[in-house]
Amino acid sequence: MRGLDISLYVVRRLAQAVPLIFVVILLNFFLIHAAPGDPIDFLVGSMDASPEYIEDLRREFGLDQPLGTQLWAYLTRMAHFDLGYSLRYRQSVLDLILSRMPATLLLMVTALVASSAVGILLGVIAAQRPYSATDQTSTFLALAGYSMPVFWLGQLVLIVFSLHLGWFPTQGMYSLRAPAEGWGRIVDVLHHLALPAFTYSLYHLALIFRLTRIKMQETLSLDFIVTARAKGASEGRVVYGHALRNAILPVVTVIGMNFGFMLAGSVLTETVFAWPGMGRLLYEAIQARDYPVLMGLFTVLSLMVIAANVVTDLIYAVIDPRVVYR
Amino acid sequence: MRISGFIAKAALALSLVAGGLAPAAAQPKPGGTLIIALESEPGTLAPHTTTDTVAYIPATNIFNGLIGLDFNFQPTPDLAESWSVSPDGLTYTFNLVKTAKWHDGKPVTAEDVEYTFNEAVAKSHPRAASWWPNVASAKALDAHTFEVKLKSAYAPFFTLLASPLSSGVLILPKHIYQGTDPKTNPANQKPIGSGPFKFQSWQRGSHIELVRNPDYFKAKKPYLDRVVFQVVPDSSARVLAFERGELDFLHWYIVPYDQVAKLRSDKRFVVVDKGGEAPATNGFMLMNMRNEYLKDVRVRQALAYAIDRDDIRKKALFGEGKVAKSPINSGLGWVFTDQYNYPRDVAKANALLDEAGFKRGPDGKRFSLRIAWGAGRDYEGRAAEIIKDNLKALGIDVTVQVMDRLAFVDKVFRNWDFDLANQLFTTGPDPTFSVTPRFHTSQIKKAPYVNAMGYSSPAADALFDTEYKELDREKRAQMWKDIQRILMTDMPALPLFEVPTVNAVSARFKDVITGPQGYIQSREDAYEVK
Repeated sequence: MRGLDISLYVVRRLAQAVPLIFVVILLNFFLIHAAPGDPIDFLVGSMDASPEYIEDLRREFGLDQPLGTQLWAYLTRMAHFDLGYSLRYRQSVLDLILSRMPATLLLMVTALVASSAVGILLGVIAAQRPYSATDQTSTFLALAGYSMPVFWLGQLVLIVFSLHLGWFPTQGMYSLRAPAEGWGRIVDVLHHLALPAFTYSLYHLALIFRLTRIKMQETLSLDFIVTARAKGASEGRVVYGHALRNAILPVVTVIGMNFGFMLAGSVLTETVFAWPGMGRLLYEAIQARDYPVLMGLFTVLSLMVIAANVVTDLIYAVIDPRVVYR
Repeated sequence: MRISGFIAKAALALSLVAGGLAPAAAQPKPGGTLIIALESEPGTLAPHTTTDTVAYIPATNIFNGLIGLDFNFQPTPDLAESWSVSPDGLTYTFNLVKTAKWHDGKPVTAEDVEYTFNEAVAKSHPRAASWWPNVASAKALDAHTFEVKLKSAYAPFFTLLASPLSSGVLILPKHIYQGTDPKTNPANQKPIGSGPFKFQSWQRGSHIELVRNPDYFKAKKPYLDRVVFQVVPDSSARVLAFERGELDFLHWYIVPYDQVAKLRSDKRFVVVDKGGEAPATNGFMLMNMRNEYLKDVRVRQALAYAIDRDDIRKKALFGEGKVAKSPINSGLGWVFTDQYNYPRDVAKANALLDEAGFKRGPDGKRFSLRIAWGAGRDYEGRAAEIIKDNLKALGIDVTVQVMDRLAFVDKVFRNWDFDLANQLFTTGPDPTFSVTPRFHTSQIKKAPYVNAMGYSSPAADALFDTEYKELDREKRAQMWKDIQRILMTDMPALPLFEVPTVNAVSARFKDVITGPQGYIQSREDAYEVK
């Protein structure tokens, strides 16, 4: 029965997302077209082209049509799940996005999982001994990690771990001089993943740590913890079984919300580390005013954020028995 | 007139004999992987549809041109082993090598060249309108002879054909493209060429891999096993990766100038100050002649006297490059002259402004101007700050405005909403292609990188309209010197600096740059020192 309730709930949540996505598409369309700059100028490059050629390009891409007509054409295509063709790459936008998605997902999921796990663990440890040396140190480091801009942190990490210590490659996803095969290739990708994932996750780790610590401290001072201790539960059971189970609910919400922020943050990390993901595709599309790619990316990113929120809600059901889906 | 590849080869042989007297040079050995940095992902790998420089960096290794260019801007053999021009300069005949093959094994013939000209380049390349209308016919005479007939003489025709960025001419396989739309043919993403390297893979957003073409028609070449083009968008990360040995080559305009001194002193690297002669790029400060102050030539000249361009070279370019002393870059040695340059003279600048009637007010100020620059090239911003300081001393208040590249193009070139603007212009490989479009009256139009200043000079136009028909190089050079005199006197745009040609190459590789288009050339001569 409960399983059926959950699937009904998921369907309803996704149905609710449809008007949201529609608004997102409309908003994207107008924001992108309101920005100054002409995609044709990018395509034509650094010297002039004949007016006829420029008009041909405009016609080819439908940029000569009134904005309303362009919007209608776009919505019609979207209704058929057609994201259109890139002006710059002359390729299907969907293919472009799909070719870049695995790199971003790998980076993001690694960073999200690692930072959440470490953040929660450190938060719990710090909360058990508030104002101890461990707590003070981790709080200070968390504050630093939280305040450092990604592009600057990325540079620092590169200079220390790559240039001076020589532990990690500086950029890209693969070794190109001697490409590895099979398992070696996986190790190679992980080797390249380490620095960007670390840089990417530090902010998130700091946030999760601080939140877990505060929530754990609050929970540990509540009456039911006293009761648990009084009935003789072990300290481990008290902390992880009782306190963390309650304290973690807001943390899960924040992890889900952060998914969206991390997608946005991928632009900087991927640029600094030359990681071939969607963030860089977005950056390049903005520079080229590649409207179809921009709108396609925003739509796909919005879908991913909505999906992440639904997943977050479902995780609630697993960890919080009070949640009932109707 | 007959110029032939045979003579060029004979001259080369002679110089080799002469060189043989000196200690023997290193013999190129086969093997090795050269990793070349790209600043952004190319949109396509096919040359005929684009003017995007990064697309040509791999494309020139996959495809061949008809001819190449040497440092004197004279043609060198490529798919054409020899050529001749009729005395009236109207008929160009090219004799193709007979041993060239496409990467799929089919022979390269004059039919392919004919198709490339008539169907691909003429119909798809953004610049075709600048020269194709002057072509009367372009056709294969037999399997290995190709002929172009022009309607009127066009002196820079060889330079045009040898410069793929200007003409889009790299020869395409007819059997792959025939009957398709050359703009969208899937081969544009997976090209088949005749060049020294074959397309292997394109990992989107990461890299493009080419491998050695064992059947290349030039004996023994290429030497490298693989050439990989890696996309690294961040300039600091690029230099770090280069220093770590992950990248072997940074082409001239992506090396940050503050790093050059360090790279020069490091034995692991070689900084090659050649290979940018063809684009011959100058940084200009454009002046909007519709502005109530700048429309007076004395004001524009005053600015030219007042701005400390040597200081810009020192501080904005960290001492690299040169002060630009003409609207033509000194890399084009056969036309360049610095005799109309302005020495720095602040007193004269003040006098000119007084004479123009813009005297200092009680607060010491004369008037205000804006200076715009497009984000991406920090040195243009640093130059704008120095200009602001220099003009403050003249009593001119300057506001610096920075915006993203396309917003800048919109503001300056489409809306003419600017007073001063810092912008790079190529001035080569021939000034007809890249100087005329910036200063001709007909180029006052709302389009990128043309005459946004609103400059119009009947005297200059008369020269622009006739110089390219002059087949005598000396006479033609004199006409261009007259144009430089007019442009420097009228001063619609102040040449600030010559963009430094500093390519950073790993010392493990030799002969990576062999011509004036070093950044977009074939790496068939490059080899690894073992």
